[in-house]
Amino acid sequence: MPNAGSWMLLEGAVPRRTGIPPLPARFESIGAKLPEKRLATADLMASTRHHPHIDLERLTGIHERRICSDGEDSLTLAVGAARDCLSHSRHAAGDIQMLVSASISKYRGGLRHYFEPPLAPVIAEAIGAGNALAFDISNACAGMMTGVLIVRNFIRRGVIERGMVVSGEYISALGTNAAREIRSVLGKQLASLTLGDAGAAVIVERAPAGEPAIAVAGFTTLPAYSRLCIGSPSDAGPGASMVTNARKIHKVAVADSPPLLEEALAASGLDFGQIDHVIPHQTSARAIRIGTREISGALGVAPRHVVSNVAEFGNTASTTHFVALHKYLEEGRFQKGDKVMLISFASGLEVGVVIFELDAMVDRYGRVD
Amino acid sequence: MGALIESCATVAKRRKGALDLADAAAEACLRRAGRSASDVDLLINAGVYRDSNLGEPALAALIQDDIGANLQQTSRTAHGTFSFDVAGGGAGVITAIRIADGFLADSVDLALVVASDAHPGSSVSPAFPFSRVGGALLLVPGDSGYGFVDFRFDTYPEFESLYSAYVEWVERRPGHGETVLVIDEKPGYAARAVDCAVESIRRFLGRSLGDIDLLVTSELPGPFPDALARRLELPGDRVAHVGEDRAGAHTAGVLAAFESAELGGRVAESRQILFVGVGAGIGVGLAHYVRP
Repeated sequence: MPNAGSWMLLEGAVPRRTGIPPLPARFESIGAKLPEKRLATADLMASTRHHPHIDLERLTGIHERRICSDGEDSLTLAVGAARDCLSHSRHAAGDIQMLVSASISKYRGGLRHYFEPPLAPVIAEAIGAGNALAFDISNACAGMMTGVLIVRNFIRRGVIERGMVVSGEYISALGTNAAREIRSVLGKQLASLTLGDAGAAVIVERAPAGEPAIAVAGFTTLPAYSRLCIGSPSDAGPGASMVTNARKIHKVAVADSPPLLEEALAASGLDFGQIDHVIPHQTSARAIRIGTREISGALGVAPRHVVSNVAEFGNTASTTHFVALHKYLEEGRFQKGDKVMLISFASGLEVGVVIFELDAMVDRYGRVD
Repeated sequence: MGALIESCATVAKRRKGALDLADAAAEACLRRAGRSASDVDLLINAGVYRDSNLGEPALAALIQDDIGANLQQTSRTAHGTFSFDVAGGGAGVITAIRIADGFLADSVDLALVVASDAHPGSSVSPAFPFSRVGGALLLVPGDSGYGFVDFRFDTYPEFESLYSAYVEWVERRPGHGETVLVIDEKPGYAARAVDCAVESIRRFLGRSLGDIDLLVTSELPGPFPDALARRLELPGDRVAHVGEDRAGAHTAGVLAAFESAELGGRVAESRQILFVGVGAGIGVGLAHYVRP
């Protein structure tokens, strides 16, 4: 039974069914689109109606976040990120064979959240990716990594050679709605105050044999915890509102993920201590710090470095891993050969892992033009 | 390629929400196959209109929870379930099948595709046009040459503006408002949907549909199955028809058509089946299925 041996849906070095070596895949380029306008945490907290005594910056490490201005929305962020990604890529838009739009928010023309038509074909049309099989998926903050799992599956089987995963998250209105209603640090909408807007995109392509690649991608859903973070349109104003039991999500993520992370690490042939950079879902500096300590304790070893990137951008939902990767690439903080582990924790509860080795892509960022 | 259909089930319940419909269809589908929810490795939800217009988590996670598919890791020897949503309107189920097929070829034994639509309940939704129908399709790995042997997806962006559905907050008086779901079908959408489907089918199969015994299509925009049959110059019995109580089904429409054909003996008589999903975009999803 192919899935015997792992709890997670795990795609490692050997496809369980055929035993034929799958074609390797790698990240070829990463793009981001951050709105220009900044909203400082101090200003957001000063705008609260009920003046709760919360030092949100101290609590989360978030100094500011980017927010959309008029004319910006989920679609413009996604298109902007896709274009940025192509600007770092050796490929042209017409070479993209699959385009997955993975955002939670689908705002176009202001705060209209679109159910139909899907966004991916609109994004593909805007960037000139006329040959791409374009579709939308949605999986809370695990969206982009779910998209990577899917695109890589098509590459592994030789169906396509390259695909793009993109997400534009316009979610700052949740902060506005929370600011109006929150009364204390125990407020259920507290997490909404940490959100920031961003678009991100990544091209996954077939890797030449013998070159650094994505070693493993895996995911599982633990729906015992499916109702801990619920987001839907707000009744109180434009945009959405989100109710989160942040303490419980953190607790179950830390308690339940170590065996799952071990499965993924085992499939990659690495242990946690050999990972150069772990990028967990970027929620708050404190949660990342404490979570890392607890998970490292459970696994018996700590990684070399854990990325904590919330100070400037806050929690950008499905785009967090790729916004962080993009920033680190631009700042030259990676070396060729570095082992990177992306860990997704998202409402569902989704637990996802991608482990890969960085290659020559690092040379295509951080140049002064 | 090559995933096989193990079972299909749909439900129609007048006062149920999308989650309840999806749960009921999933359970009926699993029962029909003699499987339990914990056997499912992968669950993909292609339904669009859901209770409270939920944005997160994916509705698939709530469906997985309700049917009891591996709620949390209980042992190191069992396997879990991974779930997420796909959004493609009436064509979404075809995309979900295609994705599931990909994982069934590699790392998964049992995949469940579900779809349902219902009035969201918590918003003003003038003239919500879809019937409350849920559907589910259970897929297993197959041998090459049989099952889902090929797929195609086309988008016709020149018709993007003909159909849109969105939710927004509308202020009624200062500081007070409500969430409104607007579903806007422009004149010409239904005709263009047929045009696009015909174009995609020609590109996929060439001019002759001679080898295709049965077309299983979206229900909407109505009357899509008959309009498509007419344009392809096919006799009415070469296209699956749903019963009265499944008329007006949106994302589950393709599944309702398949179930209806199965119950009526048309699937057993067919060797080659063409699934045709159509949705806003305009998007056309095709799947060529060969019965073993």
